[in-house]
Amino acid sequence: MTSVTGTVPAGYVGAVASIGAEDVPALYEGAKFYSSAVGDANRSSLTSWLTGLLERNGPVPLRRVETVDPDTPCVSVCVLGSGSALADLPPAGDEFEMAIRQIERLQGVRFGAVYPLAAATVSALVPIVAAAQLGVPLIDADGMGRTFALIHHTAMHLAGLSPTPLVAFGPTGESVLVEAPDGRRADRLLRSNVDTLGGWAALAAYPTTAGLLRHAALPGTVSRIANVGRLLLERTDPDLLVSRLGAITGCRRLARGRIVELEHLSRPSDGTIPAHPSSLVVDETGGLERQLRIELRSEVVAVFADGALAAGAPDLVCLVDVSRGKLATLDSLELGDLVDVIVTPADAIWYSAEGMEMVGLGSHGISLKHPRRR
Amino acid sequence: MRTRPSTLPITLGELVRIPPLAAADGLHLADPSRRVEQVVLAETFERLRRCTPHVLVVLHNEAATGGWSLAAALHLAWERNVTAVVVSRTVASPSSAALAERLNMSLLVIDTDPVNVALQLAGQVSAPAAARALRQAMCAERLAEQTSIRGVLGVLNSELQGIPVALVMAETVVAGRAVAVQPRPNVERVEVEVHGPGERPWGRLVAAVPAHGPAAAEQVAKLLRLARPSLQAAWAHTRLDSSSRAEHEQAAFAMLRRLAAQPGDEAGGGSGEPASGRPGDPTAARCGDASGDIDVPAWSSELGWQIGSANRAIWLAPVHPTGEPPEEVTHLVRASWQRGRTGWPLIVQGDGWVSWHSGADPDDVAPVRRAVAAFRDSAAAHDLVIGVGRAHRGVPGLLRSVAEARLAAHVARERGPAAVQWFDQVGPQAALAWLPISEIAQVADLCLSDLMNARDRVALVQTVLAVLDCGGSLSQASLRLGVHRNTVLARLSRARQLGLTFDEPAQRLALHVLCYTLVSMWTESHGYPQTGAAGGPGVAPPGWPHTGRRTA
Repeated sequence: MTSVTGTVPAGYVGAVASIGAEDVPALYEGAKFYSSAVGDANRSSLTSWLTGLLERNGPVPLRRVETVDPDTPCVSVCVLGSGSALADLPPAGDEFEMAIRQIERLQGVRFGAVYPLAAATVSALVPIVAAAQLGVPLIDADGMGRTFALIHHTAMHLAGLSPTPLVAFGPTGESVLVEAPDGRRADRLLRSNVDTLGGWAALAAYPTTAGLLRHAALPGTVSRIANVGRLLLERTDPDLLVSRLGAITGCRRLARGRIVELEHLSRPSDGTIPAHPSSLVVDETGGLERQLRIELRSEVVAVFADGALAAGAPDLVCLVDVSRGKLATLDSLELGDLVDVIVTPADAIWYSAEGMEMVGLGSHGISLKHPRRR
Repeated sequence: MRTRPSTLPITLGELVRIPPLAAADGLHLADPSRRVEQVVLAETFERLRRCTPHVLVVLHNEAATGGWSLAAALHLAWERNVTAVVVSRTVASPSSAALAERLNMSLLVIDTDPVNVALQLAGQVSAPAAARALRQAMCAERLAEQTSIRGVLGVLNSELQGIPVALVMAETVVAGRAVAVQPRPNVERVEVEVHGPGERPWGRLVAAVPAHGPAAAEQVAKLLRLARPSLQAAWAHTRLDSSSRAEHEQAAFAMLRRLAAQPGDEAGGGSGEPASGRPGDPTAARCGDASGDIDVPAWSSELGWQIGSANRAIWLAPVHPTGEPPEEVTHLVRASWQRGRTGWPLIVQGDGWVSWHSGADPDDVAPVRRAVAAFRDSAAAHDLVIGVGRAHRGVPGLLRSVAEARLAAHVARERGPAAVQWFDQVGPQAALAWLPISEIAQVADLCLSDLMNARDRVALVQTVLAVLDCGGSLSQASLRLGVHRNTVLARLSRARQLGLTFDEPAQRLALHVLCYTLVSMWTESHGYPQTGAAGGPGVAPPGWPHTGRRTA
């Protein structure tokens, strides 16, 4: 195991070599940026759990995937299911470790590193929990670079890696092992069991080696959320915040405007992803004074400016509450709020034909060409 | 060149007047004059992308799932220069209307099945003549329901959205939108004559049609012609209901007076009392110096009144005024006065009636001369005299002319029924027409009882008046009276004895007025009493201040 090179002081934006207790708030904020739809229900329980763990066990080394021995077996973890179920039925603490151990037993290996399936939301924090519990480093790479809804919406899947065998370990101590050759089938098999497991489950999937991950995973995504989180914690002026975030994430401000209309559950769900469609109308203040229509599912999936598609999945769209200078979660939006609409490009792989087919606008029932592919 | 108008494409404005789009709500109607060449039932955005300009798109299925889909459809429609987008009401939201307005894309919402609507629209677009005929029939139905001129113009203006229509009499807009007659670039003027009773031209319907609609002018003319019978009926209706019209006109005229009086009130001038029409009344006094312009109120034109740059008032008054004229007399006078001049008002004012003519040229008296000449027989029959004022501009000018006409009518009374007096020919002597003759006669009875009891009082008073009129010259007075100078001297001496001390400077003016009044009264009432006066019974002495004399 690689030695820890020391902790990086909070507020420093740059390379991260290990994750200590003091990094948790920044990680949490950064993880939220990459999935702004998620509320703050789990914040205190999860961060205090992780902080305590890191304080007891020491910082978790964060390793770039190319610095890890190519033969090192690795496994990804994430939270599967509903965030509010996670708040209602908090983890006993051993779910992630147990899930990984089951795959180890099945495959007869000992995982030398853990990586996040999606470096966003609470799923960005639980791999640190697992790494701390297992005493292995965390790989600075993930499968999504943000969050997508289904477990096969990963770079590994596109690279031909199978998500199975995978184990979902519920808070009640029960688990489900899924072995299916196809990622889509695995997702369906798994999803039908999540409710029974307690609404959420610890998922360990995509067991592979570091060598394969070098080509299959999206590198640098964990240190990226730590850096983004540090910026967000600074609570600076929104204009400065956006330009600083732009330097790290490539994001840009599409428009600043005031929310004038909220349409809730106005239509039946469409597309392939379980979600309630609703939308948000924002009148741009200044500039071209466009009318922005922001389509919401479990996240922001598209932004129309005067009816023209300006951004859409897999772009990551988030809203910054201008008056508070912080990210606005979708459940906190109110009429009259002044918001900045921030568009962050996803990792390049998602704009490939295969990526677009999987997580593009079409998967949300929007049959329009993505602005980046026109 | 307009050829075969039936094949000209129908416009959006025409389509929204007939079912099924007549029932649709226009969340935004950008340009009703845009033509619709084709109807597309768009199920997908791909279909929308293939639309050509001047297409009407009915959204359906995937393209009409609401939220983002309508926003995206509107944007695509804007990109493709589509004429309008039709969508189910459930899909549209306030923000859709806002976006349609922002993109200036017509957006109509319907409550019925989009497929059915698209089919019906396709039929209408393919047979524009039939659609137009349907529209005209529906318009005719709505016009037939109207009972007022304003209602008819209201239907026309709502039917021809974006094309203002006005009813014009002479050069005055009587109803509708005045913008129709204002010269504007790229606007074609469509005019349709409206005839009154006896096929006399009564007014014109004028529409200002934007020049870029090829079928528009012809269609508009057709609709205007359709409106004529309703307009004539409405006009006849208001004429028939003469009593309420008379009250309406009277109230409106009082309003007009009040309007003209307002600036004076501010200056601390007059009271708000109704004008008496006497030379001393506040309105008349103010009209003399009225120079400020007052906008002609819209309600005056609704009555058919014209108040232009040269308003000449005519006052019709009974020779022997007895207060406000009875209604039946008003009715007869109105019938006679408005014969052939249906647009001229006739308003009961005090003991007479006022009317006026408005023209552009203040020197053009021909219409008034004709009217007065035509009315003379009726004036004789009803014992009326006619006073004509001068031509003045605007509302204050009209009121001034009314005051002048009234004064002239008073002067005309001297000459008996059917007398016509033009104010231009009256001059300051008109003041004498306003003397309260009976009151002054009473003064004479009380103060000069000796004189009034004298048998030769007429001769004495005439002689004193003649001497005073001639500035004290006995020879001129004798010449005027046709008697010898000594006779004059003798009469003056007797008159002095009876109290007519006219050579006392302090009493001269009072006695002059008194003599004038007595002579006027005796002349007007019964001719001269048999007193052995110089002129003899029934004959006025020569040289009275009045130019006209009762000669009958």
